[in-house]
Amino acid sequence: MTRVSKRLGGMILVLLIVSFLTYVVLIAAPADPALMSCGRPCTPDRLADARAFMGYDEPLIAQYVSFLTGIFTGRTFGSTAAAVECAAPCLGYSFRLGAPVTELIADRAPVTFSLAIGAAVLWLVLGVAAGTISAVKRGTLLDRAAMTLSVAAVSAPAYLVGLIGLLIFGFTLDMVPVSGYVPLTESPIDWAWHLILPWLVLALISAAVYARLTRTQLLDVLGEDFVRTARAKGLREGVVLRRHGLRNTLVPIVTYFGLDLGSLLGGAVLTERVFSMPGLGSLLIDAFGNADLPVIIGITLFSTAMIVAANAAVDLLHGVLDPRVTHVQKGIFS
Amino acid sequence: MTETAPARIWPRLRADRWAVGGATVAALLIVAAAAAPLLTSTDPYTYDLDAVSGSGVPLGTGGGIGADHWLGVEPMTGRDLFAIVLHGARTSLLVGVGATLVAVLIGVAVGATAGFAGGWWDALASRTTDVVFGFPALIFMIALSAVAPPEIPRLLIVVLVVGFFGWPPIARVVRAQTITLRHRTFVVAAVALGARPHQVLWRHILPNLLPTVLVFGTMLIPSMIGAEAALSFLGVGVPPPTPSWGRTIGDAVSWVQLDPMYLLVPGTALFAATLSFNLLGDGLRDALDPKLRELRR
Amino acid sequence: MRARHAVAAAATVILGLTGCNANPTAPAEPSGFAKGGTLRILSSSTEFSLDPAKSQSLAITSSGLVLRRLTTWDISPGKPPAVVPDLATDTGRTTDGGKTWTFTLKDGLTFPDGSPITTRDIKYGVERSFAPELGGGLGYHKTLLDGGEAYKGPYTGASLASIVTPDDKTITFTLKTAYGDWPWIVSMPAFSPVPKASDDPANYGKNPVPSGPYRITSYTAGAEAVLERNPAWKQETDQVRTAGPDKIIFQLGQDTTVAAQRLVADSGDDKGAFGANFVPPAQLAQAQSNPSVKDRIVTSSPGALAYLVINTRRVTDVRVRQALAYASDKRAYLVASGGELGGSPASTLITPGIPGRVAYDLYPTTDPAGDVAKAKELLTAAGQTAPKLTLLTRSDGQWSSQAQALQQGFARAGITVEIRTEEYESWFEHVTSGERDDYDLTLTSWQPDFPSANGNIAPLFASTEIGGGGFNLSRYSAPEVDQLIAAATAEVDPARSGALWAQADKRILQDVPVVPLIYTRNSFLRGSSVENFYIGEYPTYPNYLKASLKQ
Repeated sequence: MTRVSKRLGGMILVLLIVSFLTYVVLIAAPADPALMSCGRPCTPDRLADARAFMGYDEPLIAQYVSFLTGIFTGRTFGSTAAAVECAAPCLGYSFRLGAPVTELIADRAPVTFSLAIGAAVLWLVLGVAAGTISAVKRGTLLDRAAMTLSVAAVSAPAYLVGLIGLLIFGFTLDMVPVSGYVPLTESPIDWAWHLILPWLVLALISAAVYARLTRTQLLDVLGEDFVRTARAKGLREGVVLRRHGLRNTLVPIVTYFGLDLGSLLGGAVLTERVFSMPGLGSLLIDAFGNADLPVIIGITLFSTAMIVAANAAVDLLHGVLDPRVTHVQKGIFS
Repeated sequence: MTETAPARIWPRLRADRWAVGGATVAALLIVAAAAAPLLTSTDPYTYDLDAVSGSGVPLGTGGGIGADHWLGVEPMTGRDLFAIVLHGARTSLLVGVGATLVAVLIGVAVGATAGFAGGWWDALASRTTDVVFGFPALIFMIALSAVAPPEIPRLLIVVLVVGFFGWPPIARVVRAQTITLRHRTFVVAAVALGARPHQVLWRHILPNLLPTVLVFGTMLIPSMIGAEAALSFLGVGVPPPTPSWGRTIGDAVSWVQLDPMYLLVPGTALFAATLSFNLLGDGLRDALDPKLRELRR
Repeated sequence: MRARHAVAAAATVILGLTGCNANPTAPAEPSGFAKGGTLRILSSSTEFSLDPAKSQSLAITSSGLVLRRLTTWDISPGKPPAVVPDLATDTGRTTDGGKTWTFTLKDGLTFPDGSPITTRDIKYGVERSFAPELGGGLGYHKTLLDGGEAYKGPYTGASLASIVTPDDKTITFTLKTAYGDWPWIVSMPAFSPVPKASDDPANYGKNPVPSGPYRITSYTAGAEAVLERNPAWKQETDQVRTAGPDKIIFQLGQDTTVAAQRLVADSGDDKGAFGANFVPPAQLAQAQSNPSVKDRIVTSSPGALAYLVINTRRVTDVRVRQALAYASDKRAYLVASGGELGGSPASTLITPGIPGRVAYDLYPTTDPAGDVAKAKELLTAAGQTAPKLTLLTRSDGQWSSQAQALQQGFARAGITVEIRTEEYESWFEHVTSGERDDYDLTLTSWQPDFPSANGNIAPLFASTEIGGGGFNLSRYSAPEVDQLIAAATAEVDPARSGALWAQADKRILQDVPVVPLIYTRNSFLRGSSVENFYIGEYPTYPNYLKASLKQ
């Protein structure tokens, strides 16, 4: 129990630090969100009014404290009958979109989650399977072909593969929809149909990473003494693989998987852009283009929370987190 | 693996066909980037409005391929795509190498001190490494690009931001190896003879880290190139008119049906660069650690 | 004024209503205003708010479908824009030369609950637009109405004394000084009725009480807004809205490229759709090359002025500024803006389609690519043969490629231009706050918020508009011009004010604080069953109020 509470404490500390840094850095940005709420034509007096209403007239530390307390108690902007309510957990309020950031994230998260989880399942299955086959058949043509393909796949940026996929399967062959998202609740078939290409693109590249990881780990483990002993005892290769190989390989794979999935859940910026999917990544890019600081801060914090949570989950599973440095280009840029 | 000196890496590397191929392509890219002004008849900024139609579409086949423009032209401007791609290689390599240097500097500083000092510093440094390693780096890069003061050159910001999120893998390897080195006889002896910690670190540990750092640094270059391209693709990287593969790919998105060459040319360049550096990096790693090599083949 | 132009067009949800002006002259649309069907409007914007206080939308676009104002615009193809009565019986009466204005409401106007629309609802609507909580809308009235500067809205309990409602049908506005264009001002969103009892300031934009032919029946944040008929609206009281479709669906957050591709494909529901955003250059070129799609492109006549701003505080020698005018490569700029469909070369400040405009060109060149020799001559005369200038521009849309087009043009005359790009918001603050005067040039475009030459000139060149959010980006200050602006603003007679504005136009360009580049044209795509989808001489956006579906 103390271990769990220690982890929780650590998570909260990390989130606090990240939120503070994000807040300080972003609020110091050259853009002034109040200018957008000033209307046209804008006058200095009205600009000052807008700033005061949005809370940007306070000192920075006070703004940060209001932001933090807002997460637990909610916030109210303005003091008259026209005040804007942002219920707890309030991650800020987007005056541009007229909605609390928490609500915006909740609206967009299903898209990103559908994309991330579906792709993750695919790449895990594909990657581990390919890696295992490669390890078992090491040195054969199949192994070499798989490994060569996997270097090529990790070298290809996901968005480029996505665009070329769209060009071929979407525009030229007209086999899959070129954009958009249909909620699962509306039509499961359309949901999957719209997601199939993004899933494949994301999965293909990550699967390559996992195949390489699985293969290296497996060969490493199979070279260990206890496996040799098991073999010497006459256990069949399949049993050795199942009982010793895969189980020991699982640790680093789960570690990577947790981190990759965690970072993807915070927004698959590039994939969402390529396939015009209204997820968290698109929300972020949209906010970025409009200097919607509350949204940028909120999403950054949310994605950090996803990462930290994934980190903690993995950590709790394994005790010590010490994945070997394998290949560098991981799923972060997806 | 600590005994491996550069002199022993070299023959192993030469025996690796894929690595040699990667190194050749990477070297060609570097030469082409350096000699870009000599190889192109025009710079990547000059307009050629006669090469596009009144509505900006490249005239002729394959996006305007012809004697004047070997790989066609950019829609709307008629700028030479070959020149853009070659000069774009400069941007990519500059960011790739620059950001790697930043990452290596931070990574070695954090990893070596953590591994050498141990204790609370090690604990703190390792946790920080874990956290930064798993960070939604792209999201942070976008956020940071949004707030960087306009006075600082964008290219420098991109180098720093991309490099900053690249150091954790280096720090991990360096830390692990520093711990091994710390227990080696020559280090233990130096300490016993009364050498100060910073002397030990500087004279005995760092020189022995060099091969590892070189290898893992090389392996970092392709992902740094990829990160710059991703940022520019999203429109938050290197600003125009500085040529950048990622930005051209981003611009090509809406032209993909009408002028696919506009996407394929910079796309191929980006893929070739990442692949060649990846192959070279893999080969270097295997040469450094023969055990892995045996496993691979 | 439409300072944001390209972005604003994408970001502002524009709506309008259809009226009973049953004599359309829409070309090749012979079938009249058919009733029925579902119209889809594809927009890249993720925000959809019809709060009249926060709205910057044009009278003929989105908010006009739901909200009526005191006056509105009659926009028809081939005819100059006209201000016409909407809720009021006329376009305003003044007895003191434009300082006080009185309006009377039509008979038989009701809200959906059957209660009559009164002038008190209008007064309240205007008052709430002053609240800092409801900022962001068109606010010309805020500086014009007497006592407007100090007023902070009705939520603190105060009311604005310069708006008087002697009875339910009459409303009188008292201005600080005479203002001849007031009839246009009351066509803005803030002049629509808001019943005080229904005001829920934070959420009003999602469910405003309708006075026009449609009401919002469902809204999914960032994705979709559905408008259906408002039974309380009566066709006979409305001379501009034709209310064709039974239902109008706004599909939000649509990628402009994807939306254009869908409209090009023209399948299924998309047949009854049109795009609210400009068609991107690639899709425009694609659509033009396909005869069956070409018919469905609707391109405006030249409208908004795209211009190069010269910071007169930094580029002080008028000969250097003239050299910039001669060296501007308008041809490359035009191609970077989409070619022939992107606009036509500009030479005046008052834009085509604005009543009273006089065409002239102070710096004529035979080739739209500029007159490099002339520019070099002027630079030599000024003793600056190789000036180095900084051009600040926006990173979104086509701005950076347009900046590069100018950069290469100036290079021909030996002028070195360094381009600095900033995100829209940073750029906006940089150029309007007046605190950082570190740029020599910047690029922007401007279309008046209402079709009066006032809107072309005053916000851009009056010395009062320097800094503090004002849009005099050239930091141009000339007492003679300020006097001309003051005189023209106060003039109630359109002919006389028009002449004064035309005089100001030419006088300003003698000093070259800006170089007019092109009058932009905007292109939109519609599906094959959308009819009566057209763009008038002003503004360069389609008229939503009359669009209908083939039945």
